[in-house]
Amino acid sequence: MIDAGLVEGERFDPGRARGRGTIDLLRSFRTAAALGWKMEANWTDPVLFFIYSVAKPVASALILVFMLQVIAGPAGIALRPFVIVGSALWSFVVSGVAGLAWAVLDDRERYRMLKYIYVSPSSFITILLGRGIARLAVGAMGAGITLAVGVIVLGVPFNLGDIDWLLLAIVLVLGAVTICALAVVMAAVCLQTRQESWDYPEVVVGALFLVVGAVFPLSVLPLPLQAFGLVSPLTWWIAGVRQALFPGGPSSIGGPGSLWQQLAGTLNPSAFEVVVALLLSGAVVTLASAILFRSGEARAKDRGLIDRTTGS
Amino acid sequence: MSGSIQAPAIDARGITRVYKAKPKDVTALAGIDLEVAPGEFFGLLGPNGAGKTTLIKILTTLLLPSAGTARIFGFDVATETRKIRRIMNMVAGGEQSGYGILEAREQLWMFSQFYGLGAREGWRRVDELIDAVGLAEQRNQRVSTLSTGQRQKMNFARGLLNDPWVFFLDEPTLGLDVSAARSVRELIVGWRAAVPGRTVLLTTHYMAEADELCERIAIVDRGRILAIGSPAELKRRVQRESIFRLELDRLAGGPGGLARLPGVVSAVAALNAPADPDAPVRQAVVINLVLREDSALAGVVAALDGLGAHIVALAKSEPSLEDVFVELVGRGFDDNEEAARSNEVPVEPHEAGQPDPEEKR
Ligand SMILES: Nc1ncnc2c1ncn2[C@@H]1O[C@H](COP(=O)(O)OP(=O)(O)OP(=O)(O)O)[C@@H](O)[C@H]1O
Ligand SMILES: [Mg+2]
Repeated sequence: MIDAGLVEGERFDPGRARGRGTIDLLRSFRTAAALGWKMEANWTDPVLFFIYSVAKPVASALILVFMLQVIAGPAGIALRPFVIVGSALWSFVVSGVAGLAWAVLDDRERYRMLKYIYVSPSSFITILLGRGIARLAVGAMGAGITLAVGVIVLGVPFNLGDIDWLLLAIVLVLGAVTICALAVVMAAVCLQTRQESWDYPEVVVGALFLVVGAVFPLSVLPLPLQAFGLVSPLTWWIAGVRQALFPGGPSSIGGPGSLWQQLAGTLNPSAFEVVVALLLSGAVVTLASAILFRSGEARAKDRGLIDRTTGS
Repeated sequence: MSGSIQAPAIDARGITRVYKAKPKDVTALAGIDLEVAPGEFFGLLGPNGAGKTTLIKILTTLLLPSAGTARIFGFDVATETRKIRRIMNMVAGGEQSGYGILEAREQLWMFSQFYGLGAREGWRRVDELIDAVGLAEQRNQRVSTLSTGQRQKMNFARGLLNDPWVFFLDEPTLGLDVSAARSVRELIVGWRAAVPGRTVLLTTHYMAEADELCERIAIVDRGRILAIGSPAELKRRVQRESIFRLELDRLAGGPGGLARLPGVVSAVAALNAPADPDAPVRQAVVINLVLREDSALAGVVAALDGLGAHIVALAKSEPSLEDVFVELVGRGFDDNEEAARSNEVPVEPHEAGQPDPEEKR
């Protein structure tokens, strides 16, 4: 019944208990990302995929643009690039941060595979990050299409020659790391929950939306919220991408009367200042996420939550 | 201390586990000591809520014990998890698990990568296991379209990907029909027999399954091990008298005459239930005969002639693990689960742990 292929010898090889370090990590990451992409993107249902990954971000950007039009009139047109970029990036943040948390919940509640993933010798966080990257990729598509719609349909002035490619490359990399770190925190939180918690990630991310200058500048917020915005890496990331794509455009951070102006003395942060702030705040968040995830995983293991399902 | 192949496959000392729960904390395990040798087929038998799954979760590094230590081939479950995970694997029954959107083969390959196999080696191994578990026809089928039994076979293939030294099986046949349960059992037995030293720890609440598969069994209830031993040893504990099932063509005067014979504890007419329900109905008399010892049987046989009766069949009734359990705990095994069972896929009557004693010829 079990063929000879399963027989690997009379004796066990004690070396089996050792792994191969980085090779194993890369392999797990790659596999989780590739099959995660297949699972997250839901290719089997292109309509659903289109609605969630393309239509939703584009629609939310358009709603904001038209609201702006109604409120600000013709003056709103000048702010379109600001809104389009912020909104596109935001959908990227949502699918990244919520995506990883949902991967954890999906695996535990829906697929009931989290425990099998967990008891594999592979690094748990590496597999989760692989799944998260797949979600980020889906989010990046939505963001790209939103930008394209902004340029083509709304006539947002966009000039490839103007783009600060170096700045763009730096902030995209740092931003992706930061988003993954936030996603890991969210995943650790969702691992703790005993009841249905599918809404948590979106609620948390939605709250951040208001304070990171995604669609309106920080300067309109009360000072404590501005302070919160200034320590959030997402604020600097969005500002950096804006500055790279539309150099000289309005900034979400500075402006007359802003907290930034009071603290730094300049009207707007320079590209260099944006990168440094993103690097520092991003590093803090990444470090914190590593610690939080470790303790979250340990807590979940201690309480028997790794294979907890709410339905049973 | 580090692991070795000389160490016990499982070595648990004083494992306690308390769950924090709402009205009051639940003590799922109250001091478990257990040693399983490499190559053993070991069973944990106990009713619902006994703590079987909790123990498996601790041994498979899914859950931390509240107190006590456990080692798998010498590796500590609390601190050497990565090493343990490379040499063990687990399969649980009674669940619908799987990434519905992936093909069976893909899902298995994904896990092969998590177990550190090379890409091509992974495919080779997956195909080999798919054939071994009997899923050849479903290899490219979406997981969501597999039946419960097929999913469980796929789950087994996943569990065998790393060719574990110790395989933890938590009620692996739960919810499977008769033939699927049988093929899963054959799979386990075949896999273990192929290489000496392969160790299995199986939990079940099906008496017959434990009896059939396990070399040694621990009977657990309320987080404690009540008894450990081979099925025969456990049964011998409760067997103080010899019980025979005697089938006669007729018996003038009823069984009362037999009860008065020396060495006979009791002789009671049993329900006339022939072993084979399709057999033609016979006018036989079946008597449950309890003797002080086997030797008293001679006197009974001699006396039958005088009563004008002929023996149609005679079998010695062995006590079942159920009897052992009742003796140990003072209550039946399935007392609180009949309701749950009625919603389940029918299982072999043999498997359902029927309270009537099983007969061995
Ligand atoms: N996460 C948890 N939180 C609180 N109590 C729990 C938890 N998991 C299990 N228990 C309790 O611990 C006890 C042992 O449960 P366990 O699942 O180990 O039993 P079992 O022997 O596997 O039972 P079954 O045959 O029903 O699977 C039960 O009383 C159960 O209610
Ligand atoms: Mg159980």
